[in-house]
Amino acid sequence: MLRVLSPVAGHSVAVSDIPDPVFAKGLVGPGVAITPRDGRQASVAPITGTLVKLHPHAYLIVDEHGHGVLVHLGIDTVHMQGAGFELLAHENDAVDAGDEIVGWDPSYVAHAGHSPVCAVVVLDCDPATVTQRAVGVDVEAEELLFEVDC
Amino acid sequence: MNQAEQIVAGLGGPTNIVEIEACITRLRTELADSSLIDERLLKDAGVHGVMRSGAVVQVVVGPEADTLASDIEDLL
Repeated sequence: MLRVLSPVAGHSVAVSDIPDPVFAKGLVGPGVAITPRDGRQASVAPITGTLVKLHPHAYLIVDEHGHGVLVHLGIDTVHMQGAGFELLAHENDAVDAGDEIVGWDPSYVAHAGHSPVCAVVVLDCDPATVTQRAVGVDVEAEELLFEVDC
Repeated sequence: MNQAEQIVAGLGGPTNIVEIEACITRLRTELADSSLIDERLLKDAGVHGVMRSGAVVQVVVGPEADTLASDIEDLL
């Protein structure tokens, strides 16, 4: 059972409700989205593992069993080309769940014209194996967001 | 054909690809003519899904997107 922690504090929403068709349709995998609280903050690692991809606006951690969890900070934020994002870790670092990965400010993303909603998605995983999906509730960073068994 | 070549073929060939960039799990492409997409070829190439909006087509490929995008750029 993989425990996926919330990378940010905010309000959880169904991934199907976010304005990105690829995430909303679960093409990358199942998950939960979070409307983040405003203010400068650090987004943290949702699981323990290796930080195999680190972009300013998104990162991917793969655990020892090969499960990959993607955190995407805001929608279409690739177009911001890193502006307003600060890398707090390095690609290929071994990270613990809760470690700070990227510093950012959701209101800066919103001012740039993008939705700051964060997608937390398990790659290549059957949606039926996701349990305890907390949707429509307030969550703190590092709080359990959902569990997955795949 | 390797995966990059299959994806290029599925997107209508090298001359149809105006721009391609990777974003962690997906390829974002701008095509000259998005009606030339062959979804079956793309599925055969192992892509998870294809999302079109006008000339912009997103191909969901998984975490190898960065590597694939540079392999594809080498073919253009």
